[in-house]
Amino acid sequence: MTVRETNPNFMNGVPELLILRLLQQEEMYGYELVQAIRDRTDAVITVGEGVVYPVLHGLEQDGALTSRRKTVNGRSRVYYTVTPAGSRRLADLSKTWTNLAAAIQMMLTGGQHGEAIP
Amino acid sequence: MAKPFHELRERLLRAGVAPRHVRRYLTELTDHLADLRAEEERAGRSRADAESAALVRLGGMDDLAKAMIEQRQFRSWSARVPWAVFSLTPLLLLAGAWFVALFILWSGWQIFLPGADTPFGAGRVYGFANLYFQAGKALYFGAPILVGWGIGLIAVRQRLKTLWPMVGLVLIAGMGGTSQVQASRTAVHGGVGHIRMDFALGTSVHGLPDGLMHALVILSLTMLPYLIWRLQKARSLSA
Repeated sequence: MTVRETNPNFMNGVPELLILRLLQQEEMYGYELVQAIRDRTDAVITVGEGVVYPVLHGLEQDGALTSRRKTVNGRSRVYYTVTPAGSRRLADLSKTWTNLAAAIQMMLTGGQHGEAIP
Repeated sequence: MAKPFHELRERLLRAGVAPRHVRRYLTELTDHLADLRAEEERAGRSRADAESAALVRLGGMDDLAKAMIEQRQFRSWSARVPWAVFSLTPLLLLAGAWFVALFILWSGWQIFLPGADTPFGAGRVYGFANLYFQAGKALYFGAPILVGWGIGLIAVRQRLKTLWPMVGLVLIAGMGGTSQVQASRTAVHGGVGHIRMDFALGTSVHGLPDGLMHALVILSLTMLPYLIWRLQKARSLSA
């Protein structure tokens, strides 16, 4: 019998996914990252801005990110970058979320047996 | 560190988050708060309003604490395995320090007192030789106290409850108080001397065994600073 992985919590992995996606494009520090999430999701996803740091630190601890301290305009900031392991994790998360989003979309539109819910 | 984060720091430390992770989190939160405040001021708010708005945007104390506490990998070893940190590790450290101290005694005996039957007062030594023996002696007697202070510092720094630190202090005091060192030459002429370590309460002085007296002295010297540090920390937090 094949045991399938379950999705214990629909929101699990969302912050990780967004952070990895943004950091894959360019290195950023926490404040910059939160503004980017807000801008690129049209403020649909907003979180208490400080809670991004435990996620960043966790990803760094797992080897998905690296950080370096850099001084810009007289301010010392911690910049984060995605590692090759982080890129692989992003690919896995993206795949999972694409499947999940497609499944939800199918449910909302009634799938192959029904019609779209007005 | 910004004042709003004092409470957060205490909550994280009490929840068992390692101090280095707490420090880093608060440093980045402080930087983030400064950025938010500057943004709000640029938007035309007064400094006080900007500060309030920035704090709201940063997130509530409960959310900020919960986000960090839920990441189990940030927990300190003292929170994960207190029995190992406060009983096993101190005993291993003490054993290591005593090994070095006894090696100093044995090697000093071989180098500076080759003909003596024992390294204890068998001959008077001066200069470097005396310094060498004194270093070993200081390490032997000082190790339990240094290890005890280490236990106290870690416990206070990480806001730990008193149970495991106390267990560690009592163990260290017991070991330190009852340890005895004996040295003798083998029967063969010119044989290599050997040093042995035992644990015993020893002979009674004023109704109390010598070892117990020694253990109580070590316990006082280590527990007192720990209690004072705890008190100072509690006072500084309530101020």
